[in-house]
This record gives sequence, C-alpha cells and structure tokens, in this order.
Amino acid sequence: MQDKITGRIYKFGDNVNSDIIIAGRYLIYIDPVKLAEHAFEMLGEGFPARLRSFDILVAGRNFGCGSAREQASTAIQGLGIKAVVAASFARTFYRNAINDGLPIFECPAVYDAVAEGDELSIDLAAGLISHSGRDYEFPRIPESVAKILQLGGLANYLKSTLEAGAAPR
Amino acid sequence: MNMVEKILARKSGQKSVAPGDVVLTDIDLMLMHDLSANFVMKVFENEMEGASIADPSKLVFAFDHNFAPATRDAAEALAAVRRFAAKHNVKNLFDSGCGSIHHVVMEAGLVTPGMIVIGCDSHTPIYGALGAFSTGVGNNSMAALGFTQNKGWFKVPETVKIHFHGTPMTAVQPRDISQFLVGKLGEDGAIYKALEYAGPYIESLDVNDRALFPLQAIDVGGKCGFVNPDDKTLRHVRALFGNKPGTPQFELFQNDADCRYAEVVDIDVSRIEPQVACPPTVGNVHPIDVAVGTPINVAEAGGSTGGRLSDIRTLARCFANRRVHPGVRLQVVPASRDIYLAALKEGLFETLHVAGANIFPPSAGSNQAFNMGALAEDEVMISTQARNFPGRNGHPKARHFLASALTVAASALTGKITDPRTLR
Repeated sequence: MQDKITGRIYKFGDNVNSDIIIAGRYLIYIDPVKLAEHAFEMLGEGFPARLRSFDILVAGRNFGCGSAREQASTAIQGLGIKAVVAASFARTFYRNAINDGLPIFECPAVYDAVAEGDELSIDLAAGLISHSGRDYEFPRIPESVAKILQLGGLANYLKSTLEAGAAPR
Repeated sequence: MNMVEKILARKSGQKSVAPGDVVLTDIDLMLMHDLSANFVMKVFENEMEGASIADPSKLVFAFDHNFAPATRDAAEALAAVRRFAAKHNVKNLFDSGCGSIHHVVMEAGLVTPGMIVIGCDSHTPIYGALGAFSTGVGNNSMAALGFTQNKGWFKVPETVKIHFHGTPMTAVQPRDISQFLVGKLGEDGAIYKALEYAGPYIESLDVNDRALFPLQAIDVGGKCGFVNPDDKTLRHVRALFGNKPGTPQFELFQNDADCRYAEVVDIDVSRIEPQVACPPTVGNVHPIDVAVGTPINVAEAGGSTGGRLSDIRTLARCFANRRVHPGVRLQVVPASRDIYLAALKEGLFETLHVAGANIFPPSAGSNQAFNMGALAEDEVMISTQARNFPGRNGHPKARHFLASALTVAASALTGKITDPRTLR
C-alpha cells in the first residue's frame, strides 16, 4: 500500500448498500475487471463508466450496508478506485475492504467539506487527509488490522506470515 | 463482561476483553450458502495455493438459493462445490431443496451456546438467539484465515441493549416488532455494535421468534445480536438433540450483572402497530397505514425471516375456507425440510393449496430472485423476506414491501396491502 493517496473524488450520500455497488446477479463473478463493468450500474445511465475518471470515493454514513458480499469492495477496486473515505462504513464492508486490500478511511468532517471533483490527499503515515489547504485527522486503524491492509489483503498477509514462519496467534 | 465479550475472551485465550480490542479467536463453525461457497472455494484454491483445510468438520455448505438450478452456470457452480466438498472431506453439505441456510444449520444442531460462528451471509448473527457469537464475513476472511487455521479476527464491539416490555396488540407479530426496531434505530443506527435484546417481551418469546431480532442486527449496521441465554435457550438446544444420542458438551456464557452498555433503548411493544418496510430499503419502516390499499401481484411467506412453521400456520389459519385474491400469486416457501414435513403432516399445505397458493421447495425463496421471485416493471410484492432493495427482485422499478406473515396473508386475501387488524 502506498504511503500517500491523491486524486479526484466522487461523492455519494448516506447508506449506499452493497446491492447498489454490485447487484446480486453479478455475484457469479469474482474477477475485479468483470465486476467493475457492472459496479454502480443501478445508478443509471453513464454508470459505471463515469466513476472511472475519479480516484477516490467519498460517502456519508454506513457505506456498503446490506449484503455481506465481498464483491462490493472487489468491484470498487476494479474501477481503479484507490481509496474510500466515508463518514462511517457498514462493518461487513469495512472488514471486506481490509481483507481485500482496499484502503478505507472514516472521516465525517471530510464528507461535510468536499464536493464532487475536488482533489484529496491522504497521508497514511501522518494520519491526515488534506483538502483545499485544510487537514483532517482520521482515526488510525488498529495496528494488527493495518498490517493486513499494508500487505494488500488477508491472503497476502497470511502468505507473508507463513513464509516468515510465524503463523498469527 | 457480557455474553459476547466472554465468548470472544474465551476463544482468544484471554481472561478478559473490552470494546475496541482486536482479538484473533478460534472459529467453531463456518457457513456458506450456494452464492458464496463457490467464491470462497476459488479464493482458497487460487490465493492460498497448497494450503489445506484445518478441520473440514467445521465447514458447512447449504445450497439454499438454488432449490433446482435454472441455468447451466448455476448448475456448474453447485457441481464445483460438491466436488470441492468431496475432495476436502467436507461432510456438512446440504444440497438443493434443504431450506434456508440458517434454519437448516439450527435444526441440524450444528450450533450450540458459546460457539463462534462466521458465515458468508449478512444474516449470520441469528445464532445470537442460541447464546453463540456469530457474524457475517467476506470470502477472504473465510477462505484464508478460517479454512486454513480455524481463526478469525474481530474487533470487540460495544453493546447496545434494547429493553422490550409490554404486551403487543392483537395482530402484531414478532416480525412487526423486529422490523419496528430497524426503523427506529435506522440502517446506520448501530454500526459495529453488538445488540442485546432483553426485557419481559423477549423473555416471553420462543427461540424461533427471538431469532428474528439478531437476524436483523445487520439491518441497523450491527456486528452481532444476542439474547442473554436462559432456561428457554437451554431447553431449545436440548430438544434439538432429543432424538439423537448425546447432546454435545457446551459452555453457557451469560452476562455479568454489572456489564456495561454504550446505550440502552427502551421500547414499549404495546404501542407498536403492524409495520411495513417500504421500498427502497429495509430501514424505510412505517406503520402499515402508509401502504394500505396498494395493489399487489405477489405475496410470499418465505426466506430466513418468514418460512417458519409458525408463519405457515398463520397463513393456513387465514385461508381456511377462503381463497387467494384473483390476480395475486401467493408463494409459500418452507425454510427447511423439517418445517416442510411438519406443515405437510398438519394439513397446512392442503388448506393453502385449495386456497390457490403455490407451495415451493424448502429454500431461500425469492431472495435475490435466483430460482424464483423476479418481478416485472410495474409489479408489487409483499413478503416476509429480509431485503427489498430495488433490482433485487427483477425490474429495478418493481416494488417490494416487507411485513409479517399475518400482513402478507391479509394482503393476499384482499389483493392489496391490508392491515391485519381489519381481518374478520
């Protein structure tokens, strides 16, 4: 995972559920590219193509609620999205994103401040998100969990710990 | 500590845990339905190459959406899971027609109090009604950490206690109360939280009705839900093993008298009217008045929140010597084979068949419209299912209302959404 994530944002509202992110009928796929072809298509004409010109998704409360489908975070990665910042996340999405290696940040103040197309810069080491000259702190992910994200997901994390001869205890 | 904290502490080998701690615990049971099993399997085979399954007896596959696969793709996916199960010696494979996953697992006696259960299904928290800690996870959690090491990571949740008291009005069913709670707290009302359902009303319910509450914990953003286990829980678990030799050993974890809550919510159930979740989301819950009179095309008693024996009995009582309204398709989907058999023996299916209803094989019913339940553009369904998001059942403009079995029955009788209190 990079130390700094920057780019243009697309902004959603509250309670974006996983059926909106990727509809149930596409759960026959697991490949990020294939899933991305149908991501957010429920939102109508122009989706998901429109989202490909953005780098970071910003959303309100409870992003990713509803079904536990891991394909929701996979589909977002398939769109080329580098991070999701939300006022809060649904816990299944939060967990899936970390296990999938999709960086996510909880920061209600950023949601309130930004508009579609704005530039954001996320400094992971400093724990800060910058927008129009202002810095916003985000709560750090617990260290043990952050390690999974840093290594690009749970499968990679386990492989690396197994290779190092130290299975997680 | 409360029940959830005690289980997480025991299973992570610690004396105590507190909200916010991240723990790595043993897992007792891992559940996958036919929509998730195939992917978990692929993640395991592709990303964890060469790894083996630590304990195949802890895995459960239940094919609940495809009661008989309708497409070649679906047939191939199920066949691949059957091959995987045979290769890795996974004995707990419940094939098509078994019922709805959590009812199948509960009835098979696979969950006992004190267990940690994870499932690739967001409604997995249901086992909190049995004194277990259970929650929904994604494919990676299951395949990587669960399959290979019987482990899972969890952040210990804060707990919100919902204290229910009072006696419900006639025609108000437990589903109305559990649905009311989703509307009251909101879909983001308890994110990451454990929800404890307590109070005289909860104590008065049997375990099958209590289960509706943790089942819907996810619909307010909760990590898990539970009822502090009592004598009723124990009797229910023992009854599951009544006809089999030897009830497995289990440990009962109960709340300490001084356990702390992030919040306590008080609900007087005597003031709750029949409830309906209107499109487009599960949290859009209102007293039935707002929807009364809406013409319907499909009515269904089925799914994890509505294909129980009590729901089918409710329907049969309504339709004794009465007919389903012309133009309405009434779909009855038992949640397990045991329920199917009991309904058959009680003559409920004969009553419903004569009334004009269609009886479907035990399954998840119209959930996500895999084998059934697709709607055309202008169609309206009212069901006991758990979710009503647009596009989940056919056309994105089709409308899906969620309600109790009694409200579903009353509506199927009149052809429009009907307040069950007006039933003669």
